Amino acid sequence: MRSQTSPDVENPTRTSLLDADYGYVPTLDPTLPPQPQETRQQPSKPILLLISGLLAIGLLVALIVGNVHIETHDNDVPSPERRNPIEQGVSEKSFGLPGDVPPFSWTDEILAWQAPVFHFTPGKNWMNGPVFYKGWYHLFYQYSPAAPVWGLIVWGHAVSRDMVHWRHLPIAMETDEWYDVNGVWTGSTTILPNNELVVLYTGSTNDSVQVQNLAYPANPSDPLLVNWVKDPANPVLVPPKWINKKDFRDPTTAWLTPEGKWRMVIGTKVNKTGIAILYDTDDFKSYELQDTWLHQVDGTGMWECVDFFPVSKEDDGLDTGVIGPDIKHVLKASMDDDRCDYYAIGNYNPKTGKWVPDNAKIDVGIGLRYDYGIYYASKTFYDQNKKRRVLWSWIKETDSENSDIKKGWASLMAVPRTVALDPLTGSNLLQWPIEELDKIRSDLNEFDEIKLEPGSLVPLDVGPTSQLDIMVEFELDKKITNGLSVAAGVPYNCAGHGGAGVRDAFGPFGLLVLANQNLTEHTPTYFYIVKDKKGVYSTFFCIDQSRSSIAKDVDKSIYGSTVPVLEGEKLSMRILVDHSIVEGYAQGGRTCITSRVYPTEAIYDNAQLFLFNNATNITVTASLKTWKMGLMTKNESGWVWLGPSLILVVVFFFVVWTWQNQRKNRS
Amino acid sequence: MKYSSPLTILTTLLLLHETLYSTMADQKFIENTCKGTPSPNLCLKILLANPKSQNSDLTDLALIGVAAVEDKGLETIRQIVALKRSRPKLKPTLNYCEKAYHAVVYADVPSSNEALRGGLAKFAEDGMADSAVESQACERSFREHGWVSPMTDSNKVMNDVANVVRAIIRMLL
Repeated sequence: MRSQTSPDVENPTRTSLLDADYGYVPTLDPTLPPQPQETRQQPSKPILLLISGLLAIGLLVALIVGNVHIETHDNDVPSPERRNPIEQGVSEKSFGLPGDVPPFSWTDEILAWQAPVFHFTPGKNWMNGPVFYKGWYHLFYQYSPAAPVWGLIVWGHAVSRDMVHWRHLPIAMETDEWYDVNGVWTGSTTILPNNELVVLYTGSTNDSVQVQNLAYPANPSDPLLVNWVKDPANPVLVPPKWINKKDFRDPTTAWLTPEGKWRMVIGTKVNKTGIAILYDTDDFKSYELQDTWLHQVDGTGMWECVDFFPVSKEDDGLDTGVIGPDIKHVLKASMDDDRCDYYAIGNYNPKTGKWVPDNAKIDVGIGLRYDYGIYYASKTFYDQNKKRRVLWSWIKETDSENSDIKKGWASLMAVPRTVALDPLTGSNLLQWPIEELDKIRSDLNEFDEIKLEPGSLVPLDVGPTSQLDIMVEFELDKKITNGLSVAAGVPYNCAGHGGAGVRDAFGPFGLLVLANQNLTEHTPTYFYIVKDKKGVYSTFFCIDQSRSSIAKDVDKSIYGSTVPVLEGEKLSMRILVDHSIVEGYAQGGRTCITSRVYPTEAIYDNAQLFLFNNATNITVTASLKTWKMGLMTKNESGWVWLGPSLILVVVFFFVVWTWQNQRKNRS
Repeated sequence: MKYSSPLTILTTLLLLHETLYSTMADQKFIENTCKGTPSPNLCLKILLANPKSQNSDLTDLALIGVAAVEDKGLETIRQIVALKRSRPKLKPTLNYCEKAYHAVVYADVPSSNEALRGGLAKFAEDGMADSAVESQACERSFREHGWVSPMTDSNKVMNDVANVVRAIIRMLL
């Protein structure tokens, strides 16, 4: 198993030298005869000298290696210039693959590049329910310790002050009871009014029946919540007789009903109808199934990881269970059938226990998605520390298992996103990377008003591009911008358009990330605008993996969807590049796409960034900012060495001083 | 009890009829299942080869399918080992193929079995999808290095079997 991506900044890397015995000699008492002390306690001078010498060398090495900034971008790359559009070729062939592709094998170097730096990755993992408790953010995630493939699942655990820098803790819960021996699966935490925390989770029993179990911290005063206790009354909830024993999992966070009971939701199915059922409880140990279901949608199949939470135009984050006249409720479920997370906005009636979508045409499972790429089993939690709702999701690999075994890890989390109701449209959510990620930005590069005529391709000189935060705005002809509207009735279909190489009147245009010099590999993130027969424009936001890599055993889909654009708005996208994961956010997070890419050449120093406009009829003006993103990249580890370096200096001088003292005392 | 008594004969006939009927029903179930796969004949061959298929529900049929993938994977690994001796020039590519089939037998198959037993069929689907990918990657790697593949049949069989089992698993979702 690969060791964790980056050293924990709260515990700077410890060097083994600190644990060594330096041969410390206590100060000599001048009244005592020197002889016995000399033979008994004093280490031999040559050894002392040797140790001091080694320390000095070690210190020197540490200072040099750690603090020298190694220039990584190619100094021969010319500053941004516009390539002659005619030279580049105003045809699809601009982005086509050359005829003879050299034979390709995954090398360790290529695979090692794939590991993300600022995304949460503890090794092989699936995700679970995050919570904020006593000053720490906790992430409990589905972890498969045996191999980089799904298997026997336990609860991994990590904590953070800011959800960006993580400290890994021991496994929180293992498969050590008959009721979870086949898997400690997804669960949720509920914080009770007295700040007590309880967890309800799904266990797969020795007969593979899915049951719900109660657990709580062994020591509630431990802010790190390291140890957990499973209630002896487990399982506290077993599947009702009318549903399949293997279709009963992922209980939600509970909230208080007007009657004063705790209510939670579980997703399941009856034939092909996905449903969300409600349970009420006083003590989390005995449950009453409610007669009315929260909601159901025909033909959607099993609902996993159901999530249910309030939103409003006024507030950015509301605690589960808040109700009021201006409050809408979001119902979300992960569709087992198509591996996508769907949500819908609607109204919840606490008295009847029913939730009704605002627009039944885009009901749960058939309408909007959190993310149009690889994004599944997501969950939100209410962060009472910053009064916001935060969304986490599991992102799997889309390469071959063979590669995963070779590189030693599989799966990661997307960056945590705040999720809130779009105050302008009211009909979709907005997701945005949490503001704490701004802290790991550096090396700002700004480009203003780059004019991109049809067929343009502009390289951007921003240094290394494997870890980037890019914010770009596109200005188009006013006529078009004013015609853009909230897309209605247009199918969400970037794949149908054929990718960034297919030219249209009004698109595609955007960025090429993780692109190599001759563009044999590149990942376009782009907009394209389509005008329908009535003259109504729709805007699509897509990420195209079809040319992301010359390797054939990786996913090459094109992901995306329409994005609502309001009158007068510029088109904007934010792209986070972190090695093999690319996350895109359009129009402030109205439409999001997470992509996994596995380039073989557009890696390390060869990964570059371009602006492009493949439209035939419009000129686009782009303004953008890029930042380097990083916790500890190989080149920025300098300051981490400062601590141990200083300690080494002090020890070195102490040893020398002691030695000098001894010399003085003896002479 | 007299074996030739009318009652005995009647009971026996009824039992035989029942068994025949239920066997026919099971057969129909297997046939219908296989119709929903890309290679119905291959599917029937795999499932009927295992006598347990007669009393199987869909999950059990899927498990029989995964066992077939495992058998084929092991057989192919043995073939690769033999080829490494007889065709030493192909060793680098054969090594790659060996790792690919290791992933199938030692990662995808156990994961799929566990997922099917636990009721999380989608992970089993991922496992079978990957098995097909690994077989294709192996086949392609010969071409890419300019060799004629000595394992085309095996790779094709693995690809086809994995896709059949994947289709069966999809019916569980």
